[in-house]
Amino acid sequence: MKKFKSIYLTAFGTALLLTACNKQLDLKPFQSVGQDVAILTSTDVQITLVGAYNRLALSGTYGGGNFLQPDLMATQTIIDWQGTFQDLSQMVAQTITNDNGFVEGMWLSSYQAINQANNVIANLDKVDAASKASYEGQAKFIRGILYFNLAEMYGKSYNDGSPATNLAVPIVLTPTTVVDESSKVPRATVEAVYQQAITDLTDAQNLLPAGNTFYATKNAATAMLARIYLQKGDYANARDAANTVIASNRYSLVTPYTAEFPYPAQIHVDNTTEDIFAVQVTAQQGTNGLNTYYASPDDSGRGDIIVRDNFLAEFEPDDQRAAIYTEDSDGILRVGKFSNVYGNVRVVRLAEMYLIRAEANQRLGTAIGATPAADITTIRNRAGLGNVAAVTLADILKERRLELAFEGGFFLHDAKRLQQSVGALPYNSPKLVFPVPLREINANSALVQNEGY
Amino acid sequence: MKKILLSFLLLFVTASLAFSQNSVITGKVTDQKDGSALPGVTVTVKGTPGIGTQTDVNGKYSLSVPAGKVLVFKFIGYKAVELAANSSVVDATLETDSKQLTEVVVVGYGTQKRQNITGSVASIAAKEIENTPVTTLEQAIQGKAAGVVIQSNNGKLGQGIKISVRGTSSISAGTQPLIVLDGIILNQGDISSTNAATNPLADINFNDFESVEILKDASASAIYGARASNGVILLTSKKGKAGKAKLNFSSQFGSSKPSRHRQFLNSEQYLQIERRAGVGASLQDFNNGFYDTYQDALDDNAAFVESRLLRYSAGVADVGAANVDWEKQAFQDAPQAIYDLNLSGGNDKTTYLISGQYSDQKGILVGNRFKKYSGRVNLSTKPFSRVEVGMNLNFTNTVNNRISDDNQFSTPMQIVALSPITPIIDPRTGLLSGSLPGSASNYPVYYNPLLSVANSYYNTTVFRTIGNVYGSWEIVKHLTLRSEFGLDQTNQNEDSYYGRLTFRNTGTPNGAGQNTNNGIIHYTVNNYINYKNVFNTDHSLDVTAGTSYEYNHFVGNDIQGQQFPSDAYKQIASAAVKSGGSSSQSEYAFVSYFSRANYAYKGKYLLSASARTDASSRFGKNSRYGFFPAASVGWILSEESFLKNSTFISNLKLKAGYGLTGNAEVGNYPALGLFSGDAGYNGSAGQRFIQIANPNLKWETTGQFDVGVNFGFFNNRISGGFEYYRKNTRDLLLDVNIPGTLGLSIQTQNLGKLYNQGYELELSGDIFVGKFKWTSSFNGAFNKNVVTDIKKQVLGSNDLNRVIEGQPIGVFYGKEYAGVDPANGDAIYYLNTKDANGNFIRTTTNDYNAAQNVILGNPTPKYTAGWTNTFAYAGFDLSVTMQGSWGNKIYNGGGQYMSASASNGFDNQTVDQMAYWDKPGDITDVPEPRLFYGNGVNASSRYLSSGSYIRMKTVGLGYSIPKSLLAKIKLANARVFMNAYNLFLITKYKGWDPEVNADYQASNINLGVDFYSAPQPRTITFGVNIGL
Repeated sequence: MKKFKSIYLTAFGTALLLTACNKQLDLKPFQSVGQDVAILTSTDVQITLVGAYNRLALSGTYGGGNFLQPDLMATQTIIDWQGTFQDLSQMVAQTITNDNGFVEGMWLSSYQAINQANNVIANLDKVDAASKASYEGQAKFIRGILYFNLAEMYGKSYNDGSPATNLAVPIVLTPTTVVDESSKVPRATVEAVYQQAITDLTDAQNLLPAGNTFYATKNAATAMLARIYLQKGDYANARDAANTVIASNRYSLVTPYTAEFPYPAQIHVDNTTEDIFAVQVTAQQGTNGLNTYYASPDDSGRGDIIVRDNFLAEFEPDDQRAAIYTEDSDGILRVGKFSNVYGNVRVVRLAEMYLIRAEANQRLGTAIGATPAADITTIRNRAGLGNVAAVTLADILKERRLELAFEGGFFLHDAKRLQQSVGALPYNSPKLVFPVPLREINANSALVQNEGY
Repeated sequence: MKKILLSFLLLFVTASLAFSQNSVITGKVTDQKDGSALPGVTVTVKGTPGIGTQTDVNGKYSLSVPAGKVLVFKFIGYKAVELAANSSVVDATLETDSKQLTEVVVVGYGTQKRQNITGSVASIAAKEIENTPVTTLEQAIQGKAAGVVIQSNNGKLGQGIKISVRGTSSISAGTQPLIVLDGIILNQGDISSTNAATNPLADINFNDFESVEILKDASASAIYGARASNGVILLTSKKGKAGKAKLNFSSQFGSSKPSRHRQFLNSEQYLQIERRAGVGASLQDFNNGFYDTYQDALDDNAAFVESRLLRYSAGVADVGAANVDWEKQAFQDAPQAIYDLNLSGGNDKTTYLISGQYSDQKGILVGNRFKKYSGRVNLSTKPFSRVEVGMNLNFTNTVNNRISDDNQFSTPMQIVALSPITPIIDPRTGLLSGSLPGSASNYPVYYNPLLSVANSYYNTTVFRTIGNVYGSWEIVKHLTLRSEFGLDQTNQNEDSYYGRLTFRNTGTPNGAGQNTNNGIIHYTVNNYINYKNVFNTDHSLDVTAGTSYEYNHFVGNDIQGQQFPSDAYKQIASAAVKSGGSSSQSEYAFVSYFSRANYAYKGKYLLSASARTDASSRFGKNSRYGFFPAASVGWILSEESFLKNSTFISNLKLKAGYGLTGNAEVGNYPALGLFSGDAGYNGSAGQRFIQIANPNLKWETTGQFDVGVNFGFFNNRISGGFEYYRKNTRDLLLDVNIPGTLGLSIQTQNLGKLYNQGYELELSGDIFVGKFKWTSSFNGAFNKNVVTDIKKQVLGSNDLNRVIEGQPIGVFYGKEYAGVDPANGDAIYYLNTKDANGNFIRTTTNDYNAAQNVILGNPTPKYTAGWTNTFAYAGFDLSVTMQGSWGNKIYNGGGQYMSASASNGFDNQTVDQMAYWDKPGDITDVPEPRLFYGNGVNASSRYLSSGSYIRMKTVGLGYSIPKSLLAKIKLANARVFMNAYNLFLITKYKGWDPEVNADYQASNINLGVDFYSAPQPRTITFGVNIGL
């Protein structure tokens, strides 16, 4: 009897089993595509490149964070910080903790963008001949400027001790396909990361077209090289790169100064005639990470940063550049450069090239392209100020400070290269270097923490 | 012919013999409660097996009974009655028996007699939860089952609730028990489009439930295989009973208040601490070299502070003139009304139950409201003698007027950040402070959440249909085939509009709207056979085997708009700018085969074994199938001859079991390497890498051992049980931190181990029987949760919750606050580095970074308990449930703003901050106020406090109007009652309410965090229940 029943059961069970179909278990996602089939064609590479720009534009990195955060560490005498994000307050107070969320965010965002660029570079064989050089150049441009920023933020200043032994960040040049022990990449030296950035940008310079709408161009790569060489103290290369950009005659200074920062009506403008490269922010894509903190609530910002009157006092009376610092509806003095919530995050613009060429010529006693006085006059005239017949290095640096204030993180980066103290701290204080994010230390045993964390 | 004659003769003799000794007895059996007829009652003759009958639809019976015998009346859920058969009419009245009610217990794919269960199953009867004045089932069963810990995130209505059955078994995958209603797995996915989860169970009327069973151990739950690691909750809806139609109506009205308030600074205190903070900041500014002289710093800071105070006082020169307790403004009067109506009945072939509920509850937070319309039809019929078919259908419409999550300036609780010197109405405009036109961008100190009450809405409307149709066919005697098809369909619309006055919060000047539609179709097909038989009287066997297929499909779309012509236009149709839109889909499927056999020998030796094979679309092809066996044994000692006649021990059962269960509650595609197409740039489309493949990804497996004893003394007047369990979970589905240099931060891997181990005790007793009745039942549980292996990683991303080996999930880990340096007012921390002997160095430092992270406390209670007492006397009934938990800490995530000694801006402060350090030598644990210097506001043990509590969870007091009175107005029963929920709270917790977990970040790891989270409601309602 029992035996019969179990036979019955088995037969019945088998019948039911057959009704279940494995096909019902092969379910594919709707909004995403398998890694194995995502990059097969030239178009696939192109959209991956767009994805690299998308990641570059994250507010933790070239979407603004990489310019805001160094400046927060070095502007205590000219701004009042009103923000309640503890992790940013730590930067203002120069007491960053190793679990600081913005420090972690910059690291993660940067490597997301780098991995995107690596995906493009690794699949160039699939690209149409006509686009290949441009795609490679753009990917390398993106990767190069990211490594430069990472070296500046997570490594000691290039002029602090030995860049050949000081550690910066891990260098990863291939796209991620597996997670294993090889994923634990140690930190490369400051020298190596600078060199990677220079190599990438030099390749980009050679590969990129002169014009490429709002995407990276030959001049964009050259301009970023000028900035890197200046930061390294390689004045001859800095001067020549800046001169190349100016001499290309593709860019012109926008007059008046305030018009370089298109703002009213919050309408997106791709690039001004002065912009050499800008991260594009639109209502659909991207966030202007500078607008978030600098802009008053009138202009969709948090209004965390108030400009002190003593900063305005640094400008000459007729300097039109002071006009960008305006009071909001509550009478609070704001940095007006980022009031357009759909404004781009300017990465590099022509005025900086004049200032780099002037400074480098001045230091080298040369006059490649123009004399330092002529370049400073160009900058001053646009600001509504008179000509200068002769300039000192201090004049050039002052002009640079006023011209590029709150752009590019130059308050910190210039203080470091010029070995000026930052508040009570010397330029090479470990407190002015980001920690390696604690989560990275925990996830990657090959990493060594920075001094002081 | 001879033979026939002989037979006839024999028959005659027999008949006449019977005639001479038997008499036919008739009678009617009624319910003691309301006098209604009870059909289906078994009537037997004591000591004479073979004679018996059942009452008919009208409760009547007729039975031929030998003279002088005793009749026994038995009916499930009622106490048996014995009456002497000494007249031709014997009527019986049966009384319900709460213990007997759960005698038959619903288990997966079937039922089982409680006495024969060898696993661990907790049962909660309808009576214990009916009419609790809450929104959702979980709140009603809190404290009622040992080892089942229920915790709301906050006091918002219809929001996420965490249920833990015997601890938390996963770090990254789901931790919520599987919920099954009438055999159909319910969709439990949260489809709220904000960070704060909503609770899908809130869509279901829990007054429809006949019973709630919680399968706690592997032996009971392994029949649900890969879905069962976190326990299984089986819900069974009420069914109609054969007999006269019954109509029942109940309604209740009441209101809620917050369980507690919290004290913040008044104007005088606020002015004092803010001005002091300006002084504190000056010294720091000067020391940092930001000013040439200390006096410059003082002057500048003082001017700054005064300008701010003037601003926050709405420009009134006497800045302290207003004195507003903003905290009180977060709350509203919260009336509620609940109406229930149900009709049930049937005959011996067909039964029906039709029920409906309408409830309208306002939440304690301004703007929060939850309405529910629910209907149910349960129908069952036997078209043929061996076939039963039926359907259970539930349809619900809920409307939740939601409020922002805890991390938004617009959530009512964040109102406490506003300065007491800020008037509610701005005297300059006569409008609510913060209204346009006027100085709205920086007055008050933050966006005023009251603006959202009148100028925005966020309504979630859910239409949900849960139904199943089933057929069961008794193929041959003892062998039954059952097929079920069940559907759980949710259509959710979230409609929101944020008017012009909410500009400071939304950042969009001319209105913003969003409309989101999310739908889930979830269906289940079950086919199984059951074979149940008794062999040679001693061997009883119950075998079930079958298959199950489950499919879930999510479809969602969303549109956002800005620039509305006026606030009168609130739909996206009117938005000049369609600022966002999206649609998405996702699906998963399970195919399963299961079987179970229960065997009992002589009703005292019990053996149960089950197995399930699950295959899921969620895992890689390499590891798609999982096998989950379980077995358990039981020994009913009280059935042994040496105990059978004991007057002391009436029940004693030992049981033990072991089994494997799984957990598959991860995203739908965790095994795949993926690119996403959401990476456009300035209008050009792009794709990005979002997930790395893991083709070997498989189930998380829990091996659970359970041993227990059930006992009853003095004819079960005292009864209870004690159990020990150990759950070892391995191959954790873990979101493992990987180096960020990969361009990703996590990968879902099978990595790690953890265990839960604990004890559960249940005791209940009939302390008084007779006219005054008092029954008491207690349950208590201890659980220890330890993560044993995650390859030395430290996981976690919020302030203090971490996952660390050797510690419970989400343990608070960070810097240990040491108070304040009396010399300078600096916040100091214990260094907690280790010396050569491995001991902590307890010197202190003001350098937060120098202090080492240490274990600071456990966010999960170690001990939980519930205690219910019920009393009845002369028509009055009273039921009181206390509930508590002990041994956990709570982190006030808002402490860095609200308890920051004014070191972090102009947020109003909790009153304890007035004990701040003021001058050298002051001994205090509140650091010197230093405006924007964040003195001591970094995450540390400073913001931890004990989360232990006891609360009066529910009180129900009722009076049943005597039947004699009701008969005159033709009512079967009538009861008036009062219900109270969260009547009082005993706790040392410093915040509002210790039952808390900030909704915007709540997760398996992020536990025990308070972040402007609303307290629980204290609700009192009055109602009436009428039956005819």
